[in-house]
Amino acid sequence: MTRTNLDILINGERHQILIEPHWTLLHVLRSVVGMMGTKENCLEAECGVCTVLLDGKSVNSCILLAGQTAGRSVTTIEGIGNPEHLHPLQAAFIECGAVQCGYCIPGMILTAKSFLDENPGRRQSRDEIREAIAGNLCRCTGYRKIVDAVALAAERMSVAGAKP
Amino acid sequence: MSFDLHRPATISEAIGLSTRLAPAARYIAGGTDLVIQINRKKVFPDHLIDLGQLPGLAGVAETAGGYSLGSLTTYRSIELHPAFQGNLSGVIEAARVVGGHQVRNVATVGGNIVNASPAADFVPALLVLDAELELTGPAGNRIVALRDFVVGPGRTVLGPAEIVTSIRFARLPDRSATAFLKEGRRKAMEISVVCVAACLTLDESGSSCASARLAVGAAAPKAMRPQQAEAYLLNRPPGRVSFAEAGRLAAESSAPISDVRASAEHRRHLVAVMVERALTACHQRILEQGR
Ligand SMILES: Cc1cc2nc3c(=O)[nH]c(=O)nc-3n(C[C@H](O)[C@H](O)[C@H](O)COP(=O)(O)OP(=O)(O)OC[C@H]3O[C@@H](n4cnc5c(N)ncnc54)[C@H](O)[C@@H]3O)c2cc1C
Ligand code: FES
Ligand code: FES
Repeated sequence: MTRTNLDILINGERHQILIEPHWTLLHVLRSVVGMMGTKENCLEAECGVCTVLLDGKSVNSCILLAGQTAGRSVTTIEGIGNPEHLHPLQAAFIECGAVQCGYCIPGMILTAKSFLDENPGRRQSRDEIREAIAGNLCRCTGYRKIVDAVALAAERMSVAGAKP
Repeated sequence: MSFDLHRPATISEAIGLSTRLAPAARYIAGGTDLVIQINRKKVFPDHLIDLGQLPGLAGVAETAGGYSLGSLTTYRSIELHPAFQGNLSGVIEAARVVGGHQVRNVATVGGNIVNASPAADFVPALLVLDAELELTGPAGNRIVALRDFVVGPGRTVLGPAEIVTSIRFARLPDRSATAFLKEGRRKAMEISVVCVAACLTLDESGSSCASARLAVGAAAPKAMRPQQAEAYLLNRPPGRVSFAEAGRLAAESSAPISDVRASAEHRRHLVAVMVERALTACHQRILEQGR
């Protein structure tokens, strides 16, 4: 099968990558670009650990063909904050102790970010938050602290009124 | 998994590619059904033709008579669309139950229809609106009623190289409401054990049903309209007694299977209960509009 050139923005940086047509975005991120923050598990869009943002919206990178993302902008967990400047969601997850093994967290944070960005400046109810993260499984935490963390970040982001 | 991926820029280019590469080619929209089928080795296309870049296929338009959904419209954009907040809230309710947010950001309504799963959630919501599909193919355009489009599990009347371009339905008259209910083994991320859509219109006095349309998913080889239940409701007073009887009639005309998720008997029971509840929800909504 013919290799093609994929022109793609990853965390703001332009990449040109030679891809096979059947490669998924997840495969490109982990095995070609070496961004290991995006996790790999079910490969069937059931668990959410592979979640990244495509043009700002959460998607399961495990069933998205890399070729479908040509010319678009991808954000991984590596792209939304750094140890000096944490994203409000990252800070809230730490403060609320919403982390056990951490495997689900990149996907949780990116899913929550996509959801909160849809309604900037609006507080979200716990039910809305639960519904928003339904596509992300966590084996360890029991979700309560995760919902606490998203609610805290939503509260702070709504007060700040703007994105960081 | 091995195939070539083509990314045409126009509809006619897509149709040309599909005609030339047939029968080894498949269209791909969001890919949420197709990529998983390929991974599970259920289908082996040599060529995928990505519809994702075709202009004009995504989004909701209000027309003189009603609404037109581009086939590439995602569930998430339907959920957030103001046009469906009122008496078309059943459309939002159906869009909201498909997968998680990540799936709803890429999965399309056209893909749901063409995939033709008996448990497809969006199909019943459109069936009660008497939706029509616009198809574009090598021979030009044609319109097919959604109820005639799906013929069985995974089977449709789509011709070679044809693309579903849009889905249309009329605006509802006054004193109308819609509702959609889904029952799965768990609340989120589960395919339907049974799903039910209803669209109810009351007459001017509000004391009898001027029209009642019902659709049931996952209780027959394809989503169905229980005609006896619909006919029974015509000109009858809305309420617990008539809605329960409509539920009973709908269950009677369903033909569910037993599988790992539920027995046929349990599914039939669900149809009766959910039809009654969906109609009750519609009635309640119409009463609330009147206030
Ligand atoms: C985790 C997960 C959960 C899910 N949950 C649900 C659920 O709760 N309810 C539900 O109903 N579905 C569910 N689905 C299935 C799926 O997401 C939907 O059916 C979706 O609408 C498919 O759209 P798509 O654009 O991804 O289709 P694709 O996979 O791109 O296409 C599906 C089929 O339709 C054809 N096709 C697509 N668009 C067109 C077009 N415009 N013209 C002609 N042919 C076309 C393709 O060739 C293919 O055969 C789920 C899927 C996943 C992965
Ligand atoms: S690995 Fe993608 S959702 Fe599980
Ligand atoms: S913290 Fe371990 S999977 Fe969520």
